[in-house]
Formats: sequence, structure tokens, C-alpha cells
Amino acid sequence: MSSQRICRLLRLEGLTDYGEALELQRRLAGARVEGELADDLLILLEHPRVITLGRGARGSNVIESAEALAASGVELHEVERGGDVTYHGPGQLVGYPIIDLRHHNQDLHWYLRQLEEVLLRALASLDISGIRVPGYTGVWVEDRKIASIGVHVTRWVTFHGFALNVCTDLADFDLIVPCGIDAVQMTTVEIESGRASSVDEVADHVARSFAETFGLVMQPVALQKLP
Amino acid sequence: MASRIVMSKLSPTMEEGRVLKWVKQEGDPVESGDVVVEVETDKATMEVEAMGSGVLRKILVQEDATVPTGTTLGVVAAEDEDISAILEESRAVAPATVQATASVQGPATMEPSAPVVPSAAPSPAGDGGRLKASPLAKRMADERGIRLEALRGTGPGGRIIKRDIEAAASAGVPAAAATAPVIDYDIPYERVELSQLRKAIARNLIQSLGPIPHFFLTREIDMGEVLKLRGELNESLAESGAKIGVNDIIVKTAAQALSEHPDVNVSFAGDHIRRFTRVDVGIAVAVRDGLITPVLRDAASKGLRQISAESRELIARARNRKLAPEDYQGATFTISNLGMYGIDEFTAVINPPAATILAVGATQEKPVVVDGAVAIRPRMRVTLSCDHRAVDGAMGAEFLATFAEMLENPLRMVL
Repeated sequence: MSSQRICRLLRLEGLTDYGEALELQRRLAGARVEGELADDLLILLEHPRVITLGRGARGSNVIESAEALAASGVELHEVERGGDVTYHGPGQLVGYPIIDLRHHNQDLHWYLRQLEEVLLRALASLDISGIRVPGYTGVWVEDRKIASIGVHVTRWVTFHGFALNVCTDLADFDLIVPCGIDAVQMTTVEIESGRASSVDEVADHVARSFAETFGLVMQPVALQKLP
Repeated sequence: MASRIVMSKLSPTMEEGRVLKWVKQEGDPVESGDVVVEVETDKATMEVEAMGSGVLRKILVQEDATVPTGTTLGVVAAEDEDISAILEESRAVAPATVQATASVQGPATMEPSAPVVPSAAPSPAGDGGRLKASPLAKRMADERGIRLEALRGTGPGGRIIKRDIEAAASAGVPAAAATAPVIDYDIPYERVELSQLRKAIARNLIQSLGPIPHFFLTREIDMGEVLKLRGELNESLAESGAKIGVNDIIVKTAAQALSEHPDVNVSFAGDHIRRFTRVDVGIAVAVRDGLITPVLRDAASKGLRQISAESRELIARARNRKLAPEDYQGATFTISNLGMYGIDEFTAVINPPAATILAVGATQEKPVVVDGAVAIRPRMRVTLSCDHRAVDGAMGAEFLATFAEMLENPLRMVL
């Protein structure tokens, strides 16, 4: 028997409402703090079109007015994680790790770099060579941004996480100034690999590299089995 | 037991963090383990919990401010507990170390890692013949007459972004801008733009003498008239019980002289100088384990009697540790008097954000030449320390000349 720790993998099908996903994360992070959730957990899902404002966000980084966004079916959410403005939508793989850093490393910068590492490895397995740009948390392909990261930590238990563009409609990014960095060009796995890619396929790569990077063994779990 | 809320080091590589949100407000009851404040480092936010129970008595660092790790952010204590010692200790570090980004530049887009130049920037600006710059950066560069070709972009892929233009625009004083502790006290001021010469002076001098390049001007002043005036004033005030001290006259005179020399009543604020339109005089007071400088607000517009009463009250509160931060923060000028310890003269260290401090020695009887004959006169030596980035020798000397002339002819003050 391996003594490696387990990481539960919760893969939600279809599109999960942002607010619902946030509630779920809060509940599970609370359960992880209390010990009701004994293992680390990685949630992988896709959101419908939504713009989220982190605590660092300035309204000026949302280009369209709230009314215009609502009219075009895009939700606007304020959240507690760091970072500025983020867009989520179909074709983007979103990962919410709920892990207890006390069992890994109580170091928030280390954790951010680890998440980058997860994505870099997953991209490498898709023959895409991503890079880090010091000072700009996230993952880039040359000067194009492919994944965003923003995390929140309560009693060393994490939530929020990363968003990797797989086959996202990049036009939606024109609604925001991503991360508050003007003129960032966004990109997707599909564009960089030059072939059709599905979120499901990429999710498998990400789950594998997550387990590898954090030294965990992945075990799928159903939502009903969680506290 | 009082407990502090501290900007914890959430990573060995974390040097500073930003206060994002106070979950509890001053006066809110707090249980040990309650989340009190949320802080941010890089793209991670962390909830900070109380280590003790009581009431959140004081918030020392406001939302959006970036401070070094270890900084006390707030104090939790019992409702009636005396927390003045903690407040005093924390104020010694907190106000001076709040990063300029917090108040001057507003929240930077990517702080706290904003000044990082990506060492792995894939390709420098201009690589491949095409200059990479964001449309906003191009427009800003245009407006400010900055040549994009001369810049190195720090955006992704070496793209020139807004930040680079801002950096280039203030490049006159990069180091000074980074270290100038600019805190928005509620003192009215005029913004004075830096001339090219002033930028060069600031840049050169901090290479030589730390972040605040001090220089010192000493002058001996005849105190005969002041002592006479004090005697007369106190005689006329005897019935009211009020008493004017020499130091009160020095405070009043300095304030008056400063209002005649506003160029000395300033603060160096990185990319500009704040010329205060009010004189707030700090009075250095020795307390049991250190020193604190209560501030006499708007001293130039106050009469001697009021100055005397207020400074007496401030000094008493300072000794009893009853000063609130607003009582000791934000002097535009400071007076440190060690005359009572028999010190002839000394130099004082500037207390930022002020640009000057006056060190006052003892008044002593000395033989001096008056009208061609030796006479015994009470003389006092004062030394003005100046922040050379903002104040030059001649400016300081002119202020001291006025100060001396007023003390030697106290009637001039009435004019």
C-alpha cells in the first residue's frame, strides 16, 4: 500500500452557476477546516459566462456597464479572492482546489507557484510550452495569457483557484481588462495546439498533473458523497 | 490581555502585504479565532484571525494600504484596557513604513509585486522591429513626450504598458520616489512640481546620505530680549496663574518665521514637494522609554498664552501616554530642546514626513562683543537639520536669520 495522501476529484458536468460553485467551495472549505472533509479535494468544472471582481478589482477594468453585461447574459460577481477582474465561460476549465496547506507547505507564494506548475505540466502533456512571467501570476504562452490564478485561504485551507482557457470564445475577454493589465492578449489550448480540444480531455491532463505536483493520489468522488 | 493583529509572513518570500478588507470594525466584539481582517499577497488572499478575545479597539492600517510583514494592523483588547503602550510602539514603525503606493499612486494594478521587472520577459520591446506597447501606454507616452524606443517594457512579452510610462515620467527621482514616506495628514498644502535641478539635487544627495540627506545649520542667538519679555509677560499674567516659558516663545517664533519662509515648511513627497499652508509644530518630549512629538496645530495663528497652555497639556499627556495618533502625527516642523540637560548644541534627526527639525541648546551666559566691547549675554545655539532634497542651505539660513532676528527683537513678532 502506498502511503501517499488522497485527493478527491469532483468533476461537475455541464455548466455550474458561479454563485452555486462559490457556496459549494465555502461549504467544503469549512468542512476541510473542521475535519469533516478528511482529504484534499479538486473541483473541476465550467461556468456559464460570468465576470468576477476580486478584492483588488477596480470597476474601471470592466469595460461594459453592468446593464450592458446583464443584457448580453453575462453575470457580474464580487468575490473574496485576490486579483482583479476575471472572465469565466464555456470552454474554460476551472479548477478549485480545496486543500489544507498545513499538510503541504504553509506558504502562499509556494502555493501559487505550485498551481502554475500544475498547469505548465498539463500544457506540456498537450505539447504546449507555457511559461511563468515573474510578477504576473498565471500561465503564459509567449506573451499570451492562457490561464489565470487567484486564491483565497482560510486557516490554511484554500479555495478559488485557476481557470485555463481550452476553447473559450476569446471575444468575451474584450469585456474586461484581464487582471487589470491593459492589452493582455488571451489565448486558448485550441489556438496554441492548433487542433480541436475539449474541456474534458484537458481536465484529465490537469487532474493528473495536479496529483503529480502535489504528491497526491486522485480518487474520483460524487457530489452526494461529500459533506 | 490585549493582542495584536499583525501582517503575518504568509510566505518566506513575502515582504509586504496589502490590507484588503476589515471584516470587523473598531468597537466590534471579537472572539479568539474570529476572522478580523483579510490581507493579500500576490494573487492570494488570506483571512487573519484574532488571537485573543475582546473588542477590536483600534485599526492602525486602513484598507488598501500595503505594509511590511510584521506590522501591527490593529489591536484587540478588553473594552476598558489601556492599550496606549501598544499603540505607541506600533506608531513608531507603522506611519513611516507605509509604502508610498498606498497613498500616492493609489492601488497599483499588480501590487505588491508591481516594481518587478520580469527577468524572463520573452522578448524586449522593439524586438523583431515592431515596438510592443499597449494603446494606453502609447497615448500616455504621446501626452508626456516620452519616446517609447527608449523604454524597456515590463509587461508580458516585454510589452510597454501604463506602468512603464508612469515609471519613465517620474524617472527623475526613482530612488527618492520609492523611499519618500508620504502620508496624507490633514494639513493643507500646495503642490510644488520638481524642477530638473531639484530632481538632480534629490537624486544625487540620496546617493550620498541615506534616503533623507540631512545637512545642518547652526546659529547663536542672543536671548536677552526674550528673557526680559518672558519676565514682563509673566508678571502681567501673574494674577491669572498662566506662565509663559522660553520654549513657548521659541515655538511661537519658529511658527511665525516659518510662515514667512514657506519654502522651509515642506515635505519631500517623491515626485513633488508639499508646501504646507499651515504650520504644525511638533515638540519632542522625552518619555520613560523613548521620545514622542506631540503636535501643536496651526501654531502661527495662535497667541503665546494659547501655545503655552496647549503645549503644557500635550506634554503632560505625552508623559502619561495619553496621546492619540492624531496628537503626534504629521508635524510640518519639529523642535527638540535639550537645553535643560545642559547641552550646548546638537543635531537632531529629521522626523519624516517633515523636512526640517530644530535642535535647541541651553541658554548660557557668555562673553560676547557688543558694540565693540565685551559684554556678558545669555546666548542660545540652535541647529536646523534640513532634508536637502527639499531645502537648500540658503533657504534654511534665511529662515534661521528671521528666527534669530525675531528672538533678538521680540517686538517684531507683534508687527
